[in-house]
Amino acid sequence: MEALAQFIVAGLKSGAIYALLALGFTIVYASTGAINFAQGEFFMLGGVIGVWLLSLGMPIPLAVLGAIVLTAAIGVVFEILAVRPIEGGDPLRIIMVTIGGSVLLRQLALHAFGPDELTFPAFTRGPSIRLLGAAIERQTVWIWGLTLLAVLALAAMYRYTGFGKAMRATSIRSEAARLVGIDAAGMVTASFGLSAALGAMAGLVVAPLTQTAFNVGSAIGLKGFAAAILGGLGNPVAAVGGGLILGVLESLTAGYIDPLYKDAVALVVLLLVLFIRPQGLFGGAAREKV
Amino acid sequence: MTLLAVQGLTKRFGGLTAVDNVSFEVFEGTIKALIGPNGAGKSTVFNLLTGFERPDTGAVRFEDRDVTATRPRNLVGQGMARTFQNTQLFDEMTARENVMVGAQARQRTSFLVASLHLPPARSEQREAAEAASHLLRLVGIERWADTEAADLPAGIRRLLEIARALATGPKLALLDEPAAGLNATETRALAQTLYRIRDMGTTVLIVEHDMGLVMEVSDEILVLDRGCKIAEGPPRLIQKDPAVIAAYLGGEEVAADV
Amino acid sequence: MSSRALRWAVPAVVALLVAVLPLVIADRFLIKVFTFVGLNVIVAVGLGLLFGYAGQVSLGHAAFVGMGAYTSAYLTARLDWPWIVAFALSGAVAGLGGLVLAIPSLRLRGHYLAMATLGFGELMSLVFTEADPITGGVDGFTGIPFPSIMGFELRQPAGLYWLVWGVAAIAILVAANMVNFGPGRAMRSVHGSELGAVASGVDVTGVKVRVFVISATFAGLSGALYASVVGFISPSVFTLQSSVAYLAMAVIGGTASLAGPAVAATLLTLLEYTDALVPGLSRSAAQTIQEYQPDLYGLAIILVVLFAPGGLAALWRRRARGGESG
Repeated sequence: MEALAQFIVAGLKSGAIYALLALGFTIVYASTGAINFAQGEFFMLGGVIGVWLLSLGMPIPLAVLGAIVLTAAIGVVFEILAVRPIEGGDPLRIIMVTIGGSVLLRQLALHAFGPDELTFPAFTRGPSIRLLGAAIERQTVWIWGLTLLAVLALAAMYRYTGFGKAMRATSIRSEAARLVGIDAAGMVTASFGLSAALGAMAGLVVAPLTQTAFNVGSAIGLKGFAAAILGGLGNPVAAVGGGLILGVLESLTAGYIDPLYKDAVALVVLLLVLFIRPQGLFGGAAREKV
Repeated sequence: MTLLAVQGLTKRFGGLTAVDNVSFEVFEGTIKALIGPNGAGKSTVFNLLTGFERPDTGAVRFEDRDVTATRPRNLVGQGMARTFQNTQLFDEMTARENVMVGAQARQRTSFLVASLHLPPARSEQREAAEAASHLLRLVGIERWADTEAADLPAGIRRLLEIARALATGPKLALLDEPAAGLNATETRALAQTLYRIRDMGTTVLIVEHDMGLVMEVSDEILVLDRGCKIAEGPPRLIQKDPAVIAAYLGGEEVAADV
Repeated sequence: MSSRALRWAVPAVVALLVAVLPLVIADRFLIKVFTFVGLNVIVAVGLGLLFGYAGQVSLGHAAFVGMGAYTSAYLTARLDWPWIVAFALSGAVAGLGGLVLAIPSLRLRGHYLAMATLGFGELMSLVFTEADPITGGVDGFTGIPFPSIMGFELRQPAGLYWLVWGVAAIAILVAANMVNFGPGRAMRSVHGSELGAVASGVDVTGVKVRVFVISATFAGLSGALYASVVGFISPSVFTLQSSVAYLAMAVIGGTASLAGPAVAATLLTLLEYTDALVPGLSRSAAQTIQEYQPDLYGLAIILVVLFAPGGLAALWRRRARGGESG
């Protein structure tokens, strides 16, 4: 019983991270119809830039904020340079560009910060908290808190701000949005900035527990995508659900079967969902094109 | 003889009934036109007939076989070919190659046979090329044969798509706005082409906005308004039909308001 | 007339040059480098069919290369099967893997295939690393015998070179036949407009699945050759980075072309071995080139997609057309 509680806590911890990445995928998918293969690199950039800012002598809160802002800026610049020039916004070409971009961002991080693992200190010091027999590290509370904050902020933005409404409209039909005078290109840029910020935040908040390095992006990106598609691509709430479920599944597999299979869970889930239920757990019936 | 029989066809998108209980027949060897104001549901009817959309209720019979919700590709195999309102050509292929793709619909060259350069592949290649030349001549664009589709003017693209559809060897060709983008001379030539297609033994169903062309070539006209059939008959009667005139005038008034 | 003659003359001259290469260069390592070029050409031509003709993206082709390599290694080194049987089965295993992956993911739109192949590649990486008893785990698989055909063992670099390029030539020929006939047009029609392809009676899903299986088979055969040429394989060879390199070859090589991906594969592979090609090159310079190679792949993919979507092939097609009219 105690073991189960501990596994679930661990699962919800990584699940929250996957949820943040899944949200990033969802936001870009909503505005472009394409999957952003560089999403995992934003996660990586958040962590390594954060470590770099700390090494410059910044306090933790400032380093965290700075890394998120810088990564978001990189996302925006990437969109303006590489995605916007694609006329007609052909999703296949956007995908190709983000594949190239992910390789490039990883290499740039390698050249700038080196190949070694980097450590980011815990946001706050102190002993673990005990809850229902499970020990919860302080950093895990930070993970949950910030994820919840991000989800609430996003929900509020979608619901109440003009920007959020415009974003939703763009996601429904970019042509129609253009007709009613919404700047669809600006929305795509914003979606890249926003998803980069979310990715960076995930990378930062988990870095104290897992360390970070230039090459952590692709694996976590794949997991985030598995989470997004498990929930149902394009739906923010489903993305969060998918992330948490995936995290718990992973943790239970590692705990009760074999830690060896932990990393395979997301991949198997990804392939199974694609094979059996491509619209995801919470998606409506997917309409197959032709 | 009835080639196509449509019975009670209905399609809803959310709260909107795009096609509402439409029934009609197309007789073999005729040219039939489907007309109506914008948003009347013409293209949806085309999509339902050709399997690109599934009807909520209703039945489509082709040559006395029930083909309701048959997959588009299988309908091509049974002798139903179509063009699109927004042409769906293969832009990086030449006009001839575009038509050859259609001609292959009846061929059996497999990846294996092709990869080994076996005789059936070569003879079918020749047949497809000959069929393509013939059809490009038929629609009058043979001089564009070796131009990539992306570089063709809009009117020529429409004719090319017709040639590609004919290459599949259809008994019924459904042409969505074949005259859009054509000038007056080209439209007159199109009328002749439609007659030639009919004389070849292919029945034609067109959606068209050019009333001159419709009145000239059609044996029968079906008029839709807001998803419902409001009239059906020969051109002379349709021209005088009060419901049709009302629908079109109403449509124009709406257009004028905008 | 002259352009038709050229169509035969150019490949013939290239084939001749490739064939006599081991006779004119004495450096055994250099022959090996050109053998690797041949191995990558096989994969690139297969991926050229998939990406350049059918317009589908794979980020998992290194996994198929790996499946072929491990299959061949296991069958020849552990089970003592005849090399040629192991070689054929390696292609079949990779093709089967391709089929299992392709059928479900190709029903869906293009980007799902890209993600599914990426996931598949990572999964296979895990399998290569963790299935110790079969793959040798992280330490790799050693002692893979040289290829032997009907009792004759090929162990000289030149012999291996000819074997690899012989397979490459057959692969190119088979692919060229496919693209010149109906199946090639069907592939290009799927790329051009899926709606139009369906309306023309093309079995869109069937075409995509077939092309995917063929390209996976090519990759598997290349992997089997790699295993017996090098004699040692490890999971670090069949990674996402290799898949990206293969994709870069196909993208840079360009659409609707086999020569394009083959040329791109040659250039990118040679770039990896600049130290062998340029005698005076310092170690550190060669190392720098290697370090920045992935940067080049990433940047090249972006630049080609943005500014020359048809790749090298489209550039020289345009040039040929300009030459004819002018």
